[in-house]
Amino acid sequence: MSQDLEQPRLSPPRELFCTSCGRRVTYERGIVKFLCPNCGEQLIVRCRICRKHAHEYTCPNCGFTGP
Amino acid sequence: MSGLRDPPEDYLEGFPPVEDKDLLVPKQKYLSAGVHVGTKIRTKSMSRFIYRVRSDGLCMIDIKKTDERLRVAGKFLSRIEPKKIVAVSSRIYGFRPVRRFADYVGAVAITGRVLPGIFTNPRAPVYYEPEVVLLSDPKVDKQAHDESVKMGIPVVALVDADNELDFIDLAIPANNKGRRSLAFIFWLLTRQVLRERGDLPPDGELEEDYEAFATRIMGIR
Repeated sequence: MSQDLEQPRLSPPRELFCTSCGRRVTYERGIVKFLCPNCGEQLIVRCRICRKHAHEYTCPNCGFTGP
Repeated sequence: MSGLRDPPEDYLEGFPPVEDKDLLVPKQKYLSAGVHVGTKIRTKSMSRFIYRVRSDGLCMIDIKKTDERLRVAGKFLSRIEPKKIVAVSSRIYGFRPVRRFADYVGAVAITGRVLPGIFTNPRAPVYYEPEVVLLSDPKVDKQAHDESVKMGIPVVALVDADNELDFIDLAIPANNKGRRSLAFIFWLLTRQVLRERGDLPPDGELEEDYEAFATRIMGIR
């Protein structure tokens, strides 16, 4: 019993926020995440609504604006 | 057979002022392929890529932005494992460019009808899990586009003046209807991906000209 308690816990999932609107989208469907097409260092997350309305995203690292 | 012809006079109308040194290829090549010629229909989301509207109503796509986006798309695709890139074209003029692109880059080409479930149904015989999907026209390649949206796969697409930018993550503004234009864009993208990967030197050229990427018209003289 004590061994079960001592087992290391799984780390909580990393929270995801939409790069365009800033909403928390960790458990949402229809989102997309990819590394910035220009610099390849920053993770870009886009929620379903921002994708649908073609809202612009800007990479905080290099300033690239898409889509 | 260099593939370069003198463009008609009206091609020069509405072409943005840009120097050859700022572009991946000389301006003349863009002109001869007709990459900058858009459609008469213009969507609001595409207005940021349109330089001006010609007197006959055709929208002229800003070549500088096409050039810039091709560089970015080259970087983006070069970072992804080649087998995880899927290039799709349901348009007949896109068959050969997409296949040639896939041959050079090592990607997977899907031409013609896209079977439903290709990205969504694991039981389908043609099921595939790509990391990025490259569309030649989001309007025509709707099945592949819809399925990649459902699965959360980033979409890179060639977009014309009449396309919407919904569910597209990286747009490459270009004429996606012309035979020569499609060939030229895919040729340029192939060269850029190989350069970014290091398979070609920074100023290296492909063995073939872009005419080799163009669909051949049989039976027409």
